[in-house]
Amino acid sequence: MSSRRDAVTTWATALAAVLAGAAAAGALVSGGYEVPAELVAPTLVLNLAVGWSFVGVGLAARRRRPGNRTGLLMVLLGFAWLARFLVAVDTTPAFVLGVLLGSVSLSLFVHLLVTFPTGRTAGPAQRVLVAVGYLLSAPLDAVFLALGAQRGRGEGPPPNGLLITPSSGGLSPEPVDIVVQAVVVAVFVSVLVSIWTRWRAAGTAARRALTPGLVGGTVVVATLLVERTAILLLLPPSVGVVFAWSAQVVLVVWPIALLLGLLRSRLDRSGVGRLVVELGDGPAVPARLRSVVARTLHDPTADIAYRVPGTDTYVDAAGHPADVTPRDDRAVTHLERDGERVAVLRHDPVLAGEPDLVAAVAAGAGLAVENERLHAAVREQLEEVRASRTRLVEAADAARRRVERDLHDGAQQRLVAVGLALRLARARLASRPEELDALLVEAGEELTAALDELRELARGIYPALLTDAGLGPALASLAERAPVPVVLEGVPAQRRSEPVEQTCYFVVSEAVTNAAKHASASRVAVSVVPDGGDLRVEVADDGVGGADAEGSGLRGLADRVAALGGHLLVSSPARGGTRVTATLPCG
Amino acid sequence: MLIVDDHASFRSLARRLLVADGFDVVGEAGDAADAFDAVRSLAPDVVLLDIRLPDLDGFGVAEVLAGDDGVYGAPTVVLVSSRARDDYGRRVDASPARGFIAKDDLCGDALRRVLGDP
Repeated sequence: MSSRRDAVTTWATALAAVLAGAAAAGALVSGGYEVPAELVAPTLVLNLAVGWSFVGVGLAARRRRPGNRTGLLMVLLGFAWLARFLVAVDTTPAFVLGVLLGSVSLSLFVHLLVTFPTGRTAGPAQRVLVAVGYLLSAPLDAVFLALGAQRGRGEGPPPNGLLITPSSGGLSPEPVDIVVQAVVVAVFVSVLVSIWTRWRAAGTAARRALTPGLVGGTVVVATLLVERTAILLLLPPSVGVVFAWSAQVVLVVWPIALLLGLLRSRLDRSGVGRLVVELGDGPAVPARLRSVVARTLHDPTADIAYRVPGTDTYVDAAGHPADVTPRDDRAVTHLERDGERVAVLRHDPVLAGEPDLVAAVAAGAGLAVENERLHAAVREQLEEVRASRTRLVEAADAARRRVERDLHDGAQQRLVAVGLALRLARARLASRPEELDALLVEAGEELTAALDELRELARGIYPALLTDAGLGPALASLAERAPVPVVLEGVPAQRRSEPVEQTCYFVVSEAVTNAAKHASASRVAVSVVPDGGDLRVEVADDGVGGADAEGSGLRGLADRVAALGGHLLVSSPARGGTRVTATLPCG
Repeated sequence: MLIVDDHASFRSLARRLLVADGFDVVGEAGDAADAFDAVRSLAPDVVLLDIRLPDLDGFGVAEVLAGDDGVYGAPTVVLVSSRARDDYGRRVDASPARGFIAKDDLCGDALRRVLGDP
């Protein structure tokens, strides 16, 4: 319904523009003023071309980009341009209305140029500029009319400078005219400064949209400026005449330039076709997709981040983590496949105004994105595997160093002491036999302690009970020996594969050690329960919490668990105890 | 002489062993910091120095004691360790210590041999 209503509106507007043009021609030819015969044709051709060009292109822009106000402004400008011809009718109401509407088209022109390509003002500076533009037209003209301004009404050509003739500017302008013209020139200069400042601050993508409209607008403004300053500088009116004609000629083509900027995405559709071809026959090199997409979007900063399947993590083409939160200078478009988000396009926010183009690029890049995503996911896994392999090697080395140090500081020292005690005992055998007994007791105690330490060390390296009797007895023994009370809340009697039992044991062992050593816990609860095809190991303590999941101990556990395809979760809020949960697939 | 080792049982046995072999043990220290204090206050002729100490290692302590500022009176340093001399490569030779005795070889005769006494 609404598209039909839009079509009706469009055709009605176009018809109105044709009628307005015909009325303007009628007013000029038979409005009651004298129009030099040689000026009728050029004046009509140019003015109708300007008016119809704005209305026609404005309607086209409105159809293509309904949410954009530029089209509406262009249509209004076209009608305002034609409305100037009201002054050509020699009656007082037509004169008043014609003078009031005479420069509204220039206000709309300023509005259009300052707010291109959205048609909406952004920021106070733009609003002030647009407002001043409107104040200088109808309101100011109303003041002049109230003061009795005649604007050349009377015998001869139509008033209000409708025709471009040397006499229309007047040879001896009033001081008030000079002031008004100076203000108009100041507004035009501000408009130029405003739009080119905006252009300089814009990114590549935004510049592409701005450039055609701004260049055309600048030419029009520059021509008008010279025309106006010709009046200001009291140059011969004939100079102004040339520029006034040129300004109108440029105004005929300027709407096309505006449309070009507005409909860039349509024109870029062919670029999307090239993208598909290019992606299809090139080698699959990482980051190539990024460069092709960036070129098609004309945004050198555009890139793609891929969602790691099954997570909310995004990585770049190299597999490094990528930040996909939108920022002021960075818009984010999600790429979906079968309703699932597979990647995001990070691009210049100005492209958010061109959803067609972005969607076309996204669709064109679809298969390549899927490929790249799989590549990126594999690379990410590879990175993780490399990192965990490094950590495993480091952990193994650290464990060896620890065993060496434990041996050196423990059992070895005690055995040295035993050796020394026995040597001393031999020396005492002859001289002071009464000390022999004490020395032998001392040597015996050191030997016992050395054996205990060796046993503990060996158990730490690998618990023999685990292989011999399984997880239940091994964990029971671990609980008995632990320095904190450990409650075993459930251990499956069924044996599991050796790697699963080992990993399960070391998760409990490490978590219990941490609870005693770092968390000052007074109680630890351990449960090992089947969970579907998995084995879920949970160790919870009532200690101080705040455990570092990235610390070497827990990180090593996570690697161990990941090596079996499982997950390790550590929840350790400050003062809230620590809960280590490992899920180990047993299939 | 002064015995520096972080294991109390070793210090105690070494002291008794060396005293029995005719040495005059004037003190013991459990780490490098205590060792420096003890050397300054007791001025021993010989320091029996464990290589593995909790703070500074025995090589570092030997360097400080051999310092030419004369604060420590440059006592003769003999390194001991429960490891073998080979485990330290050329570090023993490079240090200002007079020599090295494996802990399980420690006795009066071994110490005299290192000190070069008759």
